[in-house]
Amino acid sequence: MSNAVSESKLKDNKSTNPTHLRLAKQSALQVIGLRKSYRKAKHEIPVLKGVDLQINEGDFTAIVGQSGSGKSTLLHLLATLDKPDSGEIWFGDSRIDNLPSRHLEHLRNQKFGLVFQFYHLLPELTTIENVLVPRMIQDGMWSYWRNRKKYRTRALELLEIVGLSDRLYHYPRQLSGGEMQRTAIARSLVSNPSVLLADEPTGNLDKENGSEVMKTLFELQRNENLTIVMVTHDESIAAEADHIVKLEDGRVCMT
Amino acid sequence: MYKLLLSWRYLKTRFIALASIISVTLGVATLIVVNSVMSGFVDEMKDRLHGILSDVEMAAPGLGEIPYPDMHIKAIEEVAGEDLVAVTQVVRVPALMNFEFRGRSWTQQVMLMGIDEATFGEVTDFLPFLMNEHKQNRLSFSLEESGYHERIGNSGWDYRRKKAANQKQLNRWMQSTDRQTVAAKNKKQSVNLAKFQPLPTPTTKFEQTTDSEQPAPASFTGFDQRSDLRPQISPEEMFDAERDQYTGVVLGIAMANRKFVNEETGERDELFMLRPGDDIQITLPTSGTSPQAITENLTLVDFYSSNMHEYDSSFAFMPLRKLQEIRKMIDPSTGMTSVSSIQIKLKPDADLSGIRDALIARFPPAEFPYVIQTWQDTQGPLLSAVNMEVTILNILLFLIIAVAGFGILATFYMIVVEKTKDIGILKALGAPSSGVMSIFLGYGLSLGIVGTGVGIVLGLLFVFNINSIADVVAWITGQEIFSPEIYYFNEIPTIISPFTVAMVALGAIAIAVLASVLPALRAARLHPVEALRYE
Repeated sequence: MSNAVSESKLKDNKSTNPTHLRLAKQSALQVIGLRKSYRKAKHEIPVLKGVDLQINEGDFTAIVGQSGSGKSTLLHLLATLDKPDSGEIWFGDSRIDNLPSRHLEHLRNQKFGLVFQFYHLLPELTTIENVLVPRMIQDGMWSYWRNRKKYRTRALELLEIVGLSDRLYHYPRQLSGGEMQRTAIARSLVSNPSVLLADEPTGNLDKENGSEVMKTLFELQRNENLTIVMVTHDESIAAEADHIVKLEDGRVCMT
Repeated sequence: MYKLLLSWRYLKTRFIALASIISVTLGVATLIVVNSVMSGFVDEMKDRLHGILSDVEMAAPGLGEIPYPDMHIKAIEEVAGEDLVAVTQVVRVPALMNFEFRGRSWTQQVMLMGIDEATFGEVTDFLPFLMNEHKQNRLSFSLEESGYHERIGNSGWDYRRKKAANQKQLNRWMQSTDRQTVAAKNKKQSVNLAKFQPLPTPTTKFEQTTDSEQPAPASFTGFDQRSDLRPQISPEEMFDAERDQYTGVVLGIAMANRKFVNEETGERDELFMLRPGDDIQITLPTSGTSPQAITENLTLVDFYSSNMHEYDSSFAFMPLRKLQEIRKMIDPSTGMTSVSSIQIKLKPDADLSGIRDALIARFPPAEFPYVIQTWQDTQGPLLSAVNMEVTILNILLFLIIAVAGFGILATFYMIVVEKTKDIGILKALGAPSSGVMSIFLGYGLSLGIVGTGVGIVLGLLFVFNINSIADVVAWITGQEIFSPEIYYFNEIPTIISPFTVAMVALGAIAIAVLASVLPALRAARLHPVEALRYE
C-alpha cells in the first residue's frame, strides 16, 4: 500500500467545504446529501434518501434507528466499504467518496477502525495475529518483518487495554463473544486510526459483555482521543453517547 | 505477509484441499516412474540394438554381394573423411545349425556372420557382449582354457578334453562290443568274413572318429589284414578333439540355452544344450549362380549375450576369411574377395544421416543397388514405435494431472465460498483485491509444490526400489512383471533425467496454480459488504 500516494490523493481532494468552514469544532466526517439504493431483482429499493450529517473529532456519535432505516448502510458508506449513488462524504477536509479503490483501501487500513456486530475475526489466526492483520496488510513482507517488534508491542498494549493479555494465542473459536469483540476492537485500533466505526458492536452480546465492550470503547475514546461512530438499536447505550443521530426511512430525523 | 500467513494456515487446516492434490502427487510420481523406466528401457534397447550394428552400413540386398570391398572402403574413406573411425567387412548368410544333445540331433536356423577379428570390434560394440572375459578385450575364434562365465558351467578346453576322452572311451567300448557280437555271429553262422570286411573308416584330418587308434581284438582278423590300405597319417596330423578344434564360432546365447523354472526349488534355472567346447555343424549355401549346400564343422568358442532376444536367438559369428572360403567368395584366379556388407564406425559427434546421404550420392542406387543406412534407420520402426509409446504415455499421464487440476478448481471454489466472509473481512481491513487473489494463488502454488514435492519423492523412491517392488508384486500376483525370458533384463533398467523431473514438476505446479486462478479471481471480485453479509 502506497501511503505517500494515498496521502497526496487525500490532499489533492481537498477543496473548500463551506459547511465545514463554518463549524467551530473540527469535523472528522461529514456527509452531504447522501443517497443509496439497492437493486433487488428489477426493483430499486432506496435506503438512504439524502442524509446530511457531521461527526466532530473526538465525539462519540451513536446512530440509531429501526431495522431497515439505513443505519448500517450509512456506516458502510462512511467506512468506504460501499459507494453512494450520490452525495458527498468528507473525511477531514478531503472528499473521499470518489477516490479510487486503492486510496479507499488505504483509508480503511490506516484512518478508520472497523468493528462489526459478528466480530469478523479470521478463524485461522490467533488473537494476536488477528490484531496484527491490518499491519500485515499495510506493509510488505520485509517492511513488516523490520517493524514487527514495534507492531507487536502496540498489539500487546491494545490487548492489555481490552483485557485479553492472557488470550494471545487462542483462536477465535476458543474465545467468548465478548472476548472476540474486544479482540476486534484491538484489531481496529492497531493502525492508530482517528475514527472508529462500529456496527452494533454489542448486538450479539449479553448485557454484561455488552457493557464491558462499551466501557472499553468509552475509555478508548477518552484516552486515545478517538472519534467513534456507532450504529446501535439499543437506546440505553445510545444515551451515553455525545451525540445521537436518529435515522428514519433513510433520512436523519433527529440529531 | 498476511497472504503468506493465510495461505499457510489454509494449507494446514484444509485437508480436503490436500486430498485434492493426491491426484497431482500420484500423477507426478507415475510420470517420473514411467519416464525413468521408459528412458532406461529405450537406452538399454538402443545400446543393444547398436551392439552389433555399426553406425552406418552399406549392404548388398538379400544374399547379394559387394565385390572389390577394398575399393569401396577407399571410396568410403574419401566420403567420410575425418569422421571415419573404422571400417569392417562382413559376410552375412542364413544357415542351418545342427548339433547333438542327449543323443538327439537338433537343428535350427541361424544368421551366420563372417566377421573380421581385427576390425569388427572396433566398428561395433560387439566385444563387451561376449561372455568370455579374455575375448571381451580381443576377439579371437579359438577356444579358451578359462574365462568363461560361471553361469554357463563347465566349458572351454577342460570341458572339451573331458568330453572327447569320454567319447573315445565310449567308442572303444562300443567297438569292442560290436566286434564281439560280430565274431560271435560269425562263429555261429560260419560266414566267410573276408567277403564282408568293413571298409576302413575314413580318417581325414577333420573328422572326429578315432577308432584307428584302437587295437583290434584278436578275433577280428580281417580288419588287421586290410590295415595297410589306410592312409598313412601320423597321430599328430589327425584331428583329435582332445587337442584340436574346428574353426571357432560364437553363438547367440539364446540359441543354446533354455530357461525354465526349477520345480523343486521354484527358482529360475537354465539349461545349456551347447557349451563352449562343443562342436556344431553348419549348413549354408555357397555363393555364385547355382548355390549349393555345404556343411562345415565348427567349434563353439563363446556365447554372445546382448540381452536382445532378436539378436541372441539368431546370430552366429565366425571368421570372415573362413566363411568366404567355404562360400567360395574368393576368386581363385585374382584372390579378390566379396562381402555382404561394409560396416562403418564414425566419430561420436558425426552426422550419421549426412554421411549416409553422402554415401548414397557417391554410390548412386541406379549403379550400385546397395542398401546404405544408419543403425537408427535399420531399427527405425522399432525406435519410432517406442518413442511414440513414450509420447502417448506422457500425454495420457499428464491428462491425469490435468484432471487433478479440475479437482483442485472445484475444491478451491468450495474453499472460496466457505471463506467468503474472511475475504470480506480482509477487504474491510484494507486488503486490495490483488492481495486477496494472491492468497488463493499462493494457496494453489503451495498445494502444487507440496503435491509435486511428495510426488517427486514418491516417484524417485519407487524408481530406486523398482526391482524390489517388482519382486513384491510378482510374489503377490505370482506373475513376473518383466519376465527375463522376454526382456532379458536381470534388472528393470531406469534412467532418471533431471530435466524430465523438472518439467513434470513445473507442469504440475503450473496446473495447480492455473486451477486456482478462477476461484482466486472470484475471491478478488467479491464486494466487501456482500461478503461480510454472506452466511
